[in-house]
Amino acid sequence: MTLSAQAIEHDLTELWKETKPAKEGEPGLQRVYTTNLVAYAEDHDTGYRVERVLMDLTQFQPGRYILIRPALDTGEAPVRYYVSGHCPFWAEQHRVCCDIIKLVAQTDSIENLYGFTFSLLVPDLPVELWWPGDLPLKNKFFAKMAEASNRVWVDSSKFKNPEQSIARLAFLWKQRFPKTLLADMNWVRVQRWRALIAELFDGPWSKYLAQIRQVTLEYGEGSHPLRGFLLALWMADRMGWKYKGSPLASVPEKIDFDGPSGPVEVQLKAVPVQDAKRDRIFAIGLMTRGEHPALFSVVRDADPHVVVARAEVEGGECFSRAVTFEHLHSNQVLAEGLKNLGADEVWERVLKLAGEVLEKPIL
Amino acid sequence: MALAGVISNPLREGLSADRVPVPCSLVIYGASGDLTARKLVPALYNLYKKHLLPASFSLIGISRSKISDDEFKQKLKEMLKKAEPELTDALWDSFSQNFHYLAGGYDEPVAYRNLSNLLDQMDKDNGTSGNRVFYLSTPPNVFEPIISNLGAAGLNKEGKGYSRVVIEKPFGHDLDSAKELNRKVQEVFKEHQIYRIDHYLGKETVQNLLVMRFANSIFEPIWNRENVDHVQITAAEELGVGSRAGYYESSGVLRDMFQNHLFQVMCMVAMEPPVAFDANAIRDEKLKILQSIRPFHPESIAQFAVRGQYGPGYLAGQKVPGYREEKEVNPQSITPTYAALKVFLDTWRWHGVPFFLRSAKRLPKRSTEVAIQFKEPPNLLFKKNIGGLSPNLLVIRIQPDEGMTLRFETKVPGMTTEARTVNMDFRYGTSFAEDAPEAYERLLLDCMLGDATLFIRGDEAEAAWQALMPVLTHWETTQPEQSFPNYEAGTWGPVEADKLLEKPWRKWRRL
Repeated sequence: MTLSAQAIEHDLTELWKETKPAKEGEPGLQRVYTTNLVAYAEDHDTGYRVERVLMDLTQFQPGRYILIRPALDTGEAPVRYYVSGHCPFWAEQHRVCCDIIKLVAQTDSIENLYGFTFSLLVPDLPVELWWPGDLPLKNKFFAKMAEASNRVWVDSSKFKNPEQSIARLAFLWKQRFPKTLLADMNWVRVQRWRALIAELFDGPWSKYLAQIRQVTLEYGEGSHPLRGFLLALWMADRMGWKYKGSPLASVPEKIDFDGPSGPVEVQLKAVPVQDAKRDRIFAIGLMTRGEHPALFSVVRDADPHVVVARAEVEGGECFSRAVTFEHLHSNQVLAEGLKNLGADEVWERVLKLAGEVLEKPIL
Repeated sequence: MALAGVISNPLREGLSADRVPVPCSLVIYGASGDLTARKLVPALYNLYKKHLLPASFSLIGISRSKISDDEFKQKLKEMLKKAEPELTDALWDSFSQNFHYLAGGYDEPVAYRNLSNLLDQMDKDNGTSGNRVFYLSTPPNVFEPIISNLGAAGLNKEGKGYSRVVIEKPFGHDLDSAKELNRKVQEVFKEHQIYRIDHYLGKETVQNLLVMRFANSIFEPIWNRENVDHVQITAAEELGVGSRAGYYESSGVLRDMFQNHLFQVMCMVAMEPPVAFDANAIRDEKLKILQSIRPFHPESIAQFAVRGQYGPGYLAGQKVPGYREEKEVNPQSITPTYAALKVFLDTWRWHGVPFFLRSAKRLPKRSTEVAIQFKEPPNLLFKKNIGGLSPNLLVIRIQPDEGMTLRFETKVPGMTTEARTVNMDFRYGTSFAEDAPEAYERLLLDCMLGDATLFIRGDEAEAAWQALMPVLTHWETTQPEQSFPNYEAGTWGPVEADKLLEKPWRKWRRL
């Protein structure tokens, strides 16, 4: 098996030839590429998981998917490749198909595969790099590939030291990769909570938004409060709350901000939940103080698939809405994130704010 | 441009649902009808799921049926459950918590007083802030009494909140009735309060006509009489008249499809670039196209318009009756179920370029599309070809299989210079795996947001009728040139339509 881009393209062409309809009139296959997505797995288990995610992702976004993962056995060839075709959905009379190219490499070769990866990309389409593991510090593949990509996807929920890694991204990203967008899957997961909180302040009681003095974010015991922390920073950014304390080494239970009309206290509380992985955020409460008490909350219902948003103003409920809140799998998160090609300015501001609140990282 | 009706909320920035309407009440007249259960409520539920329904939202259904709030809600729930199997009781209860029903005649002043009281109550209890949308999903003969009674009850007044009226098609039966309806509606509501619906404009692919034309630089230079040979706009339906015979007998295909849908699509294809992407700038340009339609003259109508009516035939191997054998249809009916028009637009850009419009029932398949056929190259260098050179063609498929195809010539591999026609295809369904929103979803949202871009202005409706009246009058007062039925169900229509095309290289597209 000679390793070359031509050999891989040839194999793919043969693969698609084989799957052409046998008879005229039978539904045709259509190869569609809307993006390039390169995923790099640092170990075999991650590689297996990422491959499953990519296969599922083809249902949402047909593209050229390239997975790079280490070989399990050191006796194998330096680099091997596998191609597979996927036709997960129909568009009228056509089956929509795309492919996954898997490169399995020995550890001494894997970081040098960036040039070869470039040769496999479909021209003129965006290039997305997904890094599913911990933030890489000195990985050559990451450095070279990130420079050549339109956007890099990390998942801060997978970081071994989330505060340090987030701070690093806040300090370093723009310097090292000024032309590459950074996206966080954890931030995409937060989006549904943001939508529900925002919705609470669409009504005539929106005037209470500026009077919020206390925010409580409950998260599943045993999980990291990072997601809640990102939500708190988002609120701070949108509401103009300023952090006045000393830089934080880790996410504390209480963060104090100065708001335009008074102090604001944010509490991050760990609560026992049935499935901490599912319930990284369990409930959010926003309270005003003073003459006009109001409580705005978004809480997971007894039915774990439902979340209830509620506004209570001066003792009476003025808004209540139940919505479904299914667990988002990685493929769904990526599919959601890949819909928008441009910069997420809100995320960029939240990351910048994280850099201001967190201790400067060891660079 | 800021819209009156869009919420201002700093937390919305960066969210996909960043255009959310202010709180409002939606009043649906004809609430026990099919449209409410089949289209409007599912559209509202989808908006709800996407966090696009206002935070405070009330729905008040009105019709003559004497049913309770609970019976009304139960009926809607059952219909919605069919489309949304995941709908749980908790979700339904949350979605429908402010749904109400009022029974009453459309001409009974007391019903409007009751409505006014209920709306005031909703404002007080539910924070709907005096914002009201009145949706007329009734037969057209009750539009006028509803509108005048809304006015008499003061429900047209804007001040504390907005008041808007949505009028379903058909907007009038002819030019005179459209003018009269416009006059009656405009006596009560100002033009900015009136939303005349044409659900075709809510379709993503129709909207994409504007994006395709005005967000790309490659089309505009060739979008004119120098390069375009002709344009075909087709709306083919497989279905027959079905249960709509009562309506269809008095309307026919011209009123049902041309005055609104096909003319609107033609406007989107032919209009000049608007000065801004806002309702009036776009509607000004569409109006110019409607006003530029070269008038049809009674003595030459046969050269510009072909009518037809389907007889018995076969669809998917099943025998289907002819139009005259359908229930509630006059056995001697001359109502056309097929029409093809050759339209000339007297504008600088389109002078001499025919627009061929056709629509019919009981054609072999359902398909709506725009096909722009370009002129042949002035000097044909390549004489050897397979099957003859075909002119370039850009097809914009509106439904189904939404997308675009560009047809062009390419060299056949080999030692000779032979050309063959190939297609380059773009399909929405393949590039965007997510489903496009339903037309009513978009239109309801836009109305609540106060964005009238996808609605028809009064002068547009009149201009469309004005253009169509000579053909309508002629067809209604003369016997068909070829006795009806003149095409078999399941075929592409009467052969006479071919003569409209004039030139030997022009052919109706087989879809």
